[in-house]
Amino acid sequence: MRAKSIFFLFLSFCCQCFSDVDSNGTKVLSSDQRINGIDIQNAFGATKETAIKRTVRLLRNNKLIALGGIVSPEGYVLTKASSCVGARVAETHEGEKYDLKIKKRYEESDLALYKMISEGKTFPYIEWELENNASEGSWVIAAHSKLSEIRIGVKSGNDRAIGREGGVMGVLLTNDTSSAKGVKISEVVPQAAGYRAGLKAGDIITHADDRRVKNQDALIKIISNKDPGDVMRITLNRDDKIQKFLVTLGHRSVTFDLFNRNLQMSGSVSKRKDNFPIILQHDIPLPKESMGGPLFNIYGKCLGINIARVDRVTVFVIPASIAIECMP
Amino acid sequence: MIHKSLLLVFVFAHFTRIYCDIVENSFTHLSPKNENDLLTIQHRLQLLLPEAKKSLVAIEAGDGAGSGVIISEDGLVLTAAHVIGKTGKKMHVRLPNGKRVPAVSLGGSEISDAGMLKITRKGKWPFAPIASMDKSKVSDWCFAIGHPGGYDKNRGVVVRLGRVIGKTDETLQSDSRLLGGDSGGPLFNFDGEIIAIHSRISEKSDQNFHVPIECFHTNWEFYRTGEILTFNKLVGMGFLGVGCEKTDAGLNVLNVINGSAADRIGLIKNDLLLSVDGEKLDSVEELTILISKKQPDESILLEFQRDGNTLSEKVTLGARPTQENK
Repeated sequence: MRAKSIFFLFLSFCCQCFSDVDSNGTKVLSSDQRINGIDIQNAFGATKETAIKRTVRLLRNNKLIALGGIVSPEGYVLTKASSCVGARVAETHEGEKYDLKIKKRYEESDLALYKMISEGKTFPYIEWELENNASEGSWVIAAHSKLSEIRIGVKSGNDRAIGREGGVMGVLLTNDTSSAKGVKISEVVPQAAGYRAGLKAGDIITHADDRRVKNQDALIKIISNKDPGDVMRITLNRDDKIQKFLVTLGHRSVTFDLFNRNLQMSGSVSKRKDNFPIILQHDIPLPKESMGGPLFNIYGKCLGINIARVDRVTVFVIPASIAIECMP
Repeated sequence: MIHKSLLLVFVFAHFTRIYCDIVENSFTHLSPKNENDLLTIQHRLQLLLPEAKKSLVAIEAGDGAGSGVIISEDGLVLTAAHVIGKTGKKMHVRLPNGKRVPAVSLGGSEISDAGMLKITRKGKWPFAPIASMDKSKVSDWCFAIGHPGGYDKNRGVVVRLGRVIGKTDETLQSDSRLLGGDSGGPLFNFDGEIIAIHSRISEKSDQNFHVPIECFHTNWEFYRTGEILTFNKLVGMGFLGVGCEKTDAGLNVLNVINGSAADRIGLIKNDLLLSVDGEKLDSVEELTILISKKQPDESILLEFQRDGNTLSEKVTLGARPTQENK
């Protein structure tokens, strides 16, 4: 039995040598029939149309930056606040464009309310599903960013709160105490906050926000009380010269994701994906520019607003019960 | 009156049969046309999911983390070889409720990426059934569960629905999306049976690779009792140098490696391999078994068909090259 097993494995190897060379002999499911194929999309019938017609594209300099859901006949649009800074124009599935006016931002949920400026036009708008968040394994759909197709998935994890991540500089510190005057930077994460501010490996940080830091713990304590986006004053010693820098802190996950294999495999993810009071989770394949758009159940009722692309298999959603509080 | 009743029974029986067929299809490879079809799929998934989840474990193997699935009451776990790394390693598995229990890695294979481990604490563990040989087919509905990115009690087990989009002897492909940490977790069919174990992902999010359960069936004892087989260990064994696929008429040659034994005797694409040393070839696996029994430089008698003519050639085998040379 054992000998036979080895032979089988050999076979596997042999075939793998050629698996790329010729796949004609292998039966493959047509892309139309795959879970996001056009045949499955069409099975959603009127719900597909509902999703596409009630979603708008939000543009900045003619570039898509987020989607939004039309929440009232007057053209109010609910979207992801941190994705659509500077959104000027909304575009419908028919290609009609409307100027946008910001009405309100909600920091806690990262939602923002906009209004499409029109001359008395009546827009098709979302019906909220408030009774039922849908159980795990339920179908969910969202409009694809071009508003010609939908993307399909299922509710994939528990509803829950997502905790806060503190701000980070994106530098690795060393325990090297030979330079007793401060804290030495051993490595700078490429493209992260410290890198962009001009910090370099070998720098010795002496002050943070004008407070003297003699060791790692003191520095970390000061940083951890700040949020991503906060600016910190750093004084350091480089080549025996005192220099000052302003560092705009980054998000922990995004910063250290640069070292994280899962995120490298996932492509671009949302910047803010933490600190939500409650979220639903699903597995619809959506790019980060599709955040802010509405999520629908199989009956075409809106379950909430897609709020963060977390990774290749995870999207967070602010549920309808919270989103409705942001209504005009 | 009696006559009429009989007729009714007959019609009813007939109807039941048709109805059963439809229901069975809808669970396996229904192509949904409308909301009702979609709901049939959803209900089936939701019916099977709670039970399937109970058998899932998160594997904590030192620096790496993955998933696995318990398949026997005494705690045998199927996983991916790259999750366990090597044989005899002590590790921990976590049940969905967070309970941590000790385990030890068993065998597996780098080639299929199949691996096994065993919970070492005595107990009656929740386990899931495995599908029989050749049960899963392209277009079957399936669902992946696992711990993408690692165990997270608040999030719980993560489910992803999909279909089997391709299957060969060594690899099952699905559009159930995976992430690191899912590796080693189970892919279930719509009968609640394990049809594959998560292995690798490709750039395209709808192409995810799993070890088909058939690999485990074929090599069960080897995985359970042996060491993890690596590519290195295969190097130097007997080697013909053809890639082929099974057809009704014989094994159809798809490719011949330049300079290999097959190349030296002039085998070409679309030759049909019929027998080795008089043994009729019923599968690609059988060919490999027969070839690999031999040392490099040993000879076989190969019977094959070209343009309708049956030919026999004595072939002196080569040695399996290293991976870089393949």
